[in-house]
Amino acid sequence: SIPTSAGSEADVEQLPKEQHARSVLRESFLRCLLSVTNKKVQFHMYERVKVEATFGASDIDVMNFQVSDLHTPIGVQKEALIRCQDVISFSFDA
Amino acid sequence: MQCGWSLLGPLQWIRYINKQVKVTAGKDEEHRGWLLTVDPVSASLVLVNFHDDAVGGGRASVQVVMGHAVQEVQVLQDADQETTQRLQSSFLPPRARPLAP
Amino acid sequence: SWRSSMAPPLERPGERRGAEMKKLYGRDSAKILAMEAAMQLNFDRNCDLKQPKYWPVIPLKL
Repeated sequence: SIPTSAGSEADVEQLPKEQHARSVLRESFLRCLLSVTNKKVQFHMYERVKVEATFGASDIDVMNFQVSDLHTPIGVQKEALIRCQDVISFSFDA
Repeated sequence: MQCGWSLLGPLQWIRYINKQVKVTAGKDEEHRGWLLTVDPVSASLVLVNFHDDAVGGGRASVQVVMGHAVQEVQVLQDADQETTQRLQSSFLPPRARPLAP
Repeated sequence: SWRSSMAPPLERPGERRGAEMKKLYGRDSAKILAMEAAMQLNFDRNCDLKQPKYWPVIPLKL
């Protein structure tokens, strides 16, 4: 699912630049995800759903977030998985 | 760039780094902040805002906008050198951080 | 379930993933691979330990 360029002549020069850019971006993103561990996060989800939880971990494909103490509209769910597809954004204090 | 954000690729995304951007996402969300990074796997953006006023006490708040939800990304301004440094050291492990003045 | 998203490829998963990572990340691929492995391990371990259930049960966005 990651766009890659391969094949054409120009890409031979382009490839190392693209790989470097991808590495820098990815490393920074992974560090950010690691830093959220055990922090309170607010999720903004589709259908105007807003919930708060303690962030646990993300899988590397960014498909699921594992969270604890999820404050749902009908009570607290001690352990939960949130589908990233349901999420528009989430926020936390660094 | 309606719906095209996820398809841009690393060489395009990296041009937005260290810029203040306005991101519209989902149906009616709008976020502003300094763009720290874009995840090349999910195209998700990490936006940082610094709160330097008395109430904020030097905190930073972070918004992660999921790539699939992005409608539009607009550049507002470039970061100065100090903001860039502060931004890019936000999530580094403590010993890699530049020493505080 | 969350396991389906990371079902291993059928043939020599380590090698194949290594080659894919090399193509994507070039000479930094080992570093990224190591960071990802640690993060995925942490996610898997938490899921095994805490047995979280999806919320909401039905996806908001199909």
